[in-house]
Amino acid sequence: MIKFDEFKLDNGLKVIFHKDETTPMAVVNIIYDVGARDESEDRTGFAHLFEHLMFGGSKNIENFDAPLQLAGGECNAFTNNDITNYYDTLPVENIETAFWLESDRMLELAFTPKSLEVQRSVVIEEFKQRYLNQPYGDVWLLLRPLIYKTHPYKWATIGKNIEHIENATMQDVKDFFFTHYGPQNATLVVGGNLALDEVKRLSEKWFGNIPSRPKLARDIPNEPAQLEARQLEVERKVPADALYIAFRMGNRKSKEHFCGDLLSDILGRGRSSRLYSELIDKQKLFTTLSAYVSAGWEDGLFIVSGHLNQGVSFEKAEAEIWKILNEMGETEIENRELTKVLNKFKTAKVFSEQTLLNRVMNIAMFDLMGKLDVINEELNEYDKVTSTQIRDFSKRVFVTTNSSTLRIKAQK
Amino acid sequence: MNRSVAPEYTQAKDLKIIAPEKKVSASGVEVFLMRDVKDSSVKVDFEWSAGTKYQTKKLVSNFTNKLIFAGTAEKNSNQIAEEIDFYGGYTSLEVDKDHAALTIYGLNDKISDICSLVKDAFEKANFPQSELQKELSIAKSKFNIDIEKVKVLCSRTFNRKLYGEHSAYGQIADLEDFDKLTRQDLISYYNEFYKTKPVIFITGDVSDSFVEEILNWANEFVEERKVINPDVNNQAKGLIKIEREDAIQSAIRVGRLMFDKNHKDYFNFQLLNTILGGYFGSRLMANIREDKGYTYGIGSGMAVLQDASYFFISTEVGKDVNENTIEEIKKELKLLCEIEVSEDELLKVKNYMLGEFLRQADGPLSQMEIFKNIYFNNLKSSYYHDFIQAIHSASANDLKKLANEYFVEDEMLMVVAG
Repeated sequence: MIKFDEFKLDNGLKVIFHKDETTPMAVVNIIYDVGARDESEDRTGFAHLFEHLMFGGSKNIENFDAPLQLAGGECNAFTNNDITNYYDTLPVENIETAFWLESDRMLELAFTPKSLEVQRSVVIEEFKQRYLNQPYGDVWLLLRPLIYKTHPYKWATIGKNIEHIENATMQDVKDFFFTHYGPQNATLVVGGNLALDEVKRLSEKWFGNIPSRPKLARDIPNEPAQLEARQLEVERKVPADALYIAFRMGNRKSKEHFCGDLLSDILGRGRSSRLYSELIDKQKLFTTLSAYVSAGWEDGLFIVSGHLNQGVSFEKAEAEIWKILNEMGETEIENRELTKVLNKFKTAKVFSEQTLLNRVMNIAMFDLMGKLDVINEELNEYDKVTSTQIRDFSKRVFVTTNSSTLRIKAQK
Repeated sequence: MNRSVAPEYTQAKDLKIIAPEKKVSASGVEVFLMRDVKDSSVKVDFEWSAGTKYQTKKLVSNFTNKLIFAGTAEKNSNQIAEEIDFYGGYTSLEVDKDHAALTIYGLNDKISDICSLVKDAFEKANFPQSELQKELSIAKSKFNIDIEKVKVLCSRTFNRKLYGEHSAYGQIADLEDFDKLTRQDLISYYNEFYKTKPVIFITGDVSDSFVEEILNWANEFVEERKVINPDVNNQAKGLIKIEREDAIQSAIRVGRLMFDKNHKDYFNFQLLNTILGGYFGSRLMANIREDKGYTYGIGSGMAVLQDASYFFISTEVGKDVNENTIEEIKKELKLLCEIEVSEDELLKVKNYMLGEFLRQADGPLSQMEIFKNIYFNNLKSSYYHDFIQAIHSASANDLKKLANEYFVEDEMLMVVAG
């Protein structure tokens, strides 16, 4: 059970405090309601580039990292298609340092040309390291536009084209900041052994006088329902053939998410899962095979992916996957199998909530999703899933006209 | 309010280290117990002296460990996994150069059931031929993917050349080694090493009867741990280049063999390393990422094994700038030899490290890791206290002397792949 207190500053900044008396560390986490989904199609990769720029100095503070390190702190951040999240961990006595740093970069960035030039090339190297210079690194660059035709989920967080990063101008960067960064578009979550009054005082002191900027109304086009099977086959210099099948499903906020998430465990998590025991263990068609949900906030995917064993054809591999998926839509699973994945889920949850940082980030995510009030209800939602629901979900989701198949063929 | 002035801060104080409770089974197996856990999570670790340095044939240590749950006379691997899963249990199997480990995770109301299943599978493990074939084919496929990565190419050569190819620490498997492995190799390795006394660590709010069960299990291990001391006196020096025409980036590793954690210079060297490449604001990051934009990341560190340790710098950079990067790395090493670190920078790094100690010791699982470090490296119980004192008292001059002693360009092995 995660407990918290919440309050709001006059400028619109939401603050949530999570007390933890057992740790000498504190966490200051700010989640901004901006992700790659908010980019325009001719300027992709900006949300992520921006995350890098946020460490390049702010209006009154030349360097973000140095003062934090001086106070014994550490920081990092990540961007995905939905959100951008920044966090600092430091000894609780020094928590004010994090308030000072985070508030100044929310107020305004330094916008130095040097910072833009350097982070531009760092991001280009990141693009190369993660997406180009790795076998299978470009999978999501291929898969996203196959699945999404309208919705901005069609490009990856790194951007759909590295030229967008190469061509970013200072004006673009400033516009992005003043549109998306501000108290109205963020939630501050503080965790640690502090008093609520102290958190209120520090929040008011450092964030209270940051001017509110207009809240941008999101106008993201819905992705229409998929009505035809989609396929893409490419050749790459990779050691083994790889297969990805993606199905559209409900988003992270929908009831369907819980059903899909459990089903992905039944099919693809661990050695006793169905795909593993049938297609790796018994038939030896694959060397890796997994199932997972994307949990996008606006639209969800159910993905099955794996590497084919040598000499196995795509035709055979796909036919056997489909056989297992179809079976899920025909026969209800036994109680024992459902209990099994639920029990595994519960263990994983207890371990993941052990660290203060994870709890604080969870609070931030749930708040931005508009689900803070049900953060402790998640397990119940999983408990409520029935065998019948899983069968119905499978029947509805695992159909060819709802699927996008990507085949990466190893170049001979 | 003046936003350009930083708030007051204090230096992190001494570290609170919680030593686990120690139990010893009648057979002499040590069981360390950390019960002050606020939730229902339980982690049980078994560690054997059965890492890769003990093997006389490549990959035997890894595959023996990997196949521990592959089957018994009564159950196949799928049944074993399903039963452990049913109780919400997770297991992980890991091997490094020194140790082989089996770890069990679960919640405290089910941990006893999970451990009984694990014990049964472990004790009756019979390493079926079909499972070995399957795991070999999976591992070969993974090997073929990994070997495409410049980072992997680079670290393989680095490891081989660092310890010397004939050192038990320098063993690097190639594709053909997979096919040489037999079921009998695994059975022999299991019999020789997994029946020796493990060290057991329990972290969780567990019942007395569970502790009793583990002690009873521990009692079944009666053979003494094996000892082997790899020879590590053949480090290669100088630059080795591995060309990969189609690579977009190059992976770089620079490093040398060093002393262990009991050495008088160890604490100060850690401080020096942190300045160079041990944190986000390090010299290497500031120069090669934040100033030149050559890389997404660069870092340095020290790896400590039972019978060897080494210092290394590691990065991936644009292929066209790999030579510049090597030059910049040399420049940064030289700078630390020639010019004393400023008081500002020294204070920043000291404070960062003191904070890092707090982060590393946060929570019972971390406290147990801290204890393992002390235990496996034969450190004094005052190790962390001494470390912190050493950091407080280190001077810029101490560090410059140390840099001159250890950051010697001619002593370094440099590998560039890509």
